[in-house]
Amino acid sequence: MREFMHHILNAFNGATGWNEDNTYRQLDVTARELIDFQLPRGLKLTLSSLATPHFATSYTLGSIDIVDGSISYLYTSTPLYNVAAQSDRITLPALLRSYRKLHDLGSRGKPWSVATDAPLDSASPPVAAGVNKYPSTTALGVLDRDRSSLLYGRLYLPQSLLEGLTIKRFSSALQVHLSAVSEQSLRNGGTMLGLVQYDKGKYGVEGLASTDGGLLGVRGLYNFGGDASSPAPTPSAAGGLTTENSVEKDRIYGRFSAGGELYYGTLNKSGGMSLGMRFATLPAHRGTPLTATLTVNPLMGNINATYSVLAKQYCSLATRMEFNVYSYESEWAVGMELWSNRKPAGFLLGASPTAVESEPVAQRPKIKERSFQAKMEWRLDDEPEPEKPNPAVATKEEYLGVLKARLDHNLRIGLLWEGRIKSLIFSLGTGVDLHKLGEPFRSLGLEIQYSS
Amino acid sequence: MAFNFNWSPLTADAGFYERARDLLTTALNKSPKPPIIVDDIFVTEFNLGSVPPDLEILEIGDLAEDRFRGIFKMCYSGDAFLTLKTRVQANPLNTYLCSKPSFTSPQPLAAASGLTIPLQITLSEIKLSAFIILVFSKQKGLTIVFRNDPLESLKVSSTFDSIQFVRDYLQRTIEIKLRDLMMDELPAIIHRLSLQLWCPDQVPKEEDEVKEDDEPAVNPLATPPLDAVDANGHLVDPAEIPSLSLDGGPETQSLFSQKNLLQLDALTNSHRTSSLFTPGIQDALFRAWAGPSDRVEANNTSGLSTPSLLRSSTYQGSAHTYTFSDSSSQDHGHLPSRPSMVSFNSATTGLSLGSGRHSKTGRKKKNRVVNLRRKTGSEATSSEIGDTSSDATSTQGPMSEPILPIREAPEEELAMPAASIPSKVRFRSPGDTSPRSPLNTDSAVPAEVPVSSIEARDVPITLSQPSSRLAAQEPTYPGRTTEKAEPRSVDAKGQWKRGGPQSDTSSVILEQAWIMKMAGEIARRVYDEKNRNPAFWEEREDSPPPAYEASR
Repeated sequence: MREFMHHILNAFNGATGWNEDNTYRQLDVTARELIDFQLPRGLKLTLSSLATPHFATSYTLGSIDIVDGSISYLYTSTPLYNVAAQSDRITLPALLRSYRKLHDLGSRGKPWSVATDAPLDSASPPVAAGVNKYPSTTALGVLDRDRSSLLYGRLYLPQSLLEGLTIKRFSSALQVHLSAVSEQSLRNGGTMLGLVQYDKGKYGVEGLASTDGGLLGVRGLYNFGGDASSPAPTPSAAGGLTTENSVEKDRIYGRFSAGGELYYGTLNKSGGMSLGMRFATLPAHRGTPLTATLTVNPLMGNINATYSVLAKQYCSLATRMEFNVYSYESEWAVGMELWSNRKPAGFLLGASPTAVESEPVAQRPKIKERSFQAKMEWRLDDEPEPEKPNPAVATKEEYLGVLKARLDHNLRIGLLWEGRIKSLIFSLGTGVDLHKLGEPFRSLGLEIQYSS
Repeated sequence: MAFNFNWSPLTADAGFYERARDLLTTALNKSPKPPIIVDDIFVTEFNLGSVPPDLEILEIGDLAEDRFRGIFKMCYSGDAFLTLKTRVQANPLNTYLCSKPSFTSPQPLAAASGLTIPLQITLSEIKLSAFIILVFSKQKGLTIVFRNDPLESLKVSSTFDSIQFVRDYLQRTIEIKLRDLMMDELPAIIHRLSLQLWCPDQVPKEEDEVKEDDEPAVNPLATPPLDAVDANGHLVDPAEIPSLSLDGGPETQSLFSQKNLLQLDALTNSHRTSSLFTPGIQDALFRAWAGPSDRVEANNTSGLSTPSLLRSSTYQGSAHTYTFSDSSSQDHGHLPSRPSMVSFNSATTGLSLGSGRHSKTGRKKKNRVVNLRRKTGSEATSSEIGDTSSDATSTQGPMSEPILPIREAPEEELAMPAASIPSKVRFRSPGDTSPRSPLNTDSAVPAEVPVSSIEARDVPITLSQPSSRLAAQEPTYPGRTTEKAEPRSVDAKGQWKRGGPQSDTSSVILEQAWIMKMAGEIARRVYDEKNRNPAFWEEREDSPPPAYEASR
């Protein structure tokens, strides 16, 4: 489960049109989230709120050995309207879905919605991404977005650990991302990491510096193929023609990305580097969406390949193979994600959904009557305010829960069941070690999140 | 007197190396490892070599058939070697990220991917130089404490010797880890091993303790005190004790105080019936220790179970002596790391006692300070015979020299907190010069004696004793006057020294952890005192024990 603040951060990126995926760091994020999802440990309760469009708070109470907790606040200069933050309205895929669709390169600077972005309903029309198409907001709004900033702080209580994060956007393509941790046990009492990110759509570059060991780093990602090379007719534009449709279905339509990273620790005189490559189908692709990555670490002789696929709308699969040419060590892991709309919060063995009654609330045309007050004053009603798009309804959320599972080469299984009960979003996970069948459950955890 | 150290027969034992390897492997993997070590550390080769260490006996504090205490100086520069095998992380970025908070981690994509390399480390040319305090008793096993950092130097050779950075790092890390091993783990290992060898019944077993809990009653005579005395103070032949029984015979009544036995009986009965009545046992010594059953008992009866009072502490000047002992450290030989113990010293024993103290604040605190050093000196060397000649009354039994105050001596010679001994006959009239047999309270500590952890004693003898003894001893030590003049500064010292003349207490080998603490404490105090008052030692003893001197 993504944390509430993570969700708000995503919403902020969406509202300001920042493509968070266009960095080398996020090259294999799809497989990573499908396989390396975090299992909850112990009991954890989160109370969150997007109090105003600018301000969000979150309180966490956990108990693993001792009771601990955290308090976090977030402020954005860009108001986050239309962001579903209430836990009964929030779209589950936005919070839980691992398989990510690529953002349109051309959509840089154009706001996107977290709610509509994450779910992969093919019903949602692919955006015809004109490169020069800018959102229909005023120039002032764009300027405002381009100067937006975000402040975030979190205090872990018994440990007195303080996290701080600042994101400052200087233009639609440039932002500075500054994060810091202060804790007594750390050397010098804390560390700080600065990131300068430059996203030009076709390529994204970032440089980083950390006070810890004087680490400096550069990483970059370059996109080519697919929509990156040919801004010409997108297949979605011709989507209406069935004859072409079949042709399109055969042709894999996707985007290549290649990048690399380089680090050097100025104080400890150590470094590291890696190269990577990804192929991912674009949302416009009519066939099975898939993502494949290959990363190579030439210094350490490490080769890492992942392949993830959205087999069905409710099922994603991912595999990962790792091999080290120096030590001949290899690893593998597989991950799976199964969405379900069965009754108790997407429990796979639960009752089958009750014949998709699909609450006809949205469809029923409302007969408008003059309000009583308007009648009294002998006038017509004011123009009705445009109905706020309700993301939960708009995306026709039908999934109630998801089961995630992974298995790695140590025969360790991770199981995670996440879903919504009433207005609580829960996450129940356990780790199972098949080598020790005597006491297979290595960990057990329950995480409950409520937000308003 | 001669000691015979066999070095090679030790290594000739076929199973020895295997056992030692196992023990070392467990010890090395116990503490959290640095992130660069990604696998368990296995000891593949271990050889003690053929060159034995040089042992120099500095002091022998106590010597008997079943117990021994002494201080050694050990120098070793032999050909022992040790080969370890493990796997290390070769990617510096990976280890760099391990210890950093994830929030500010640069989160490299694949640059931090690991490359683990098998590593073989050979430790050789080990040079040790240590002062060792060795305490052995059949009941408590073998305890070894290093007074100083024993490791002088060693050579670390590994598969990465060609890389300077890695070699330095390994050398540094291994030295630190080895120091920890020597100072903390090795005593624990040896103690555990010795317990298995000599007294397997004392090896802590959870099930046994639980079982004890269920036993409704335990015959205290099943584990009689080593030196039980009858009503007249004469020694009871241990062979006769089994013939005694709780139920009948006048012998029992004389072995244990009749009045107190009745009260104890009432006490245990009140526990069975969960009645709130607690008989007041006068001049009792409460002791909480050992198994859970005892702890319950102590809590119920004494009402003094202040949680911070974990360790035996006695209060001088009162007829009541409450003793709280830490059950875990006592039985398991683990080193306690409680903060309360750090500050523990004999000067605060009385103060830290909660209610037991308050009831007695009005009384005059009787300080009887006995200079041990003088005594040992006089015993060991005949030059000071004149001093000890008047000492006859106060010399009870074998005058073992308590360099280590094995436990804080109960003031007024009240009461060793023996679990099952009614040691009421401890104090005799000054005229009674019959040699006192050591009251080996330790023998009473077996874990099966929970019921009688409350000990009763006779009031009159106890109270009459101190003053007379004090009077008898004071003229013995002219040097005492200086200390008397400034009792505050010497109080702490005197308090632990008070245990000196009691050969019975010094022969008791008690909590190993406590020894360690006290050893450090004593050394510090002696050193401080010496610094403060250089003449202090000279008027009493020519030089401090070399162990303390050299360890500083």
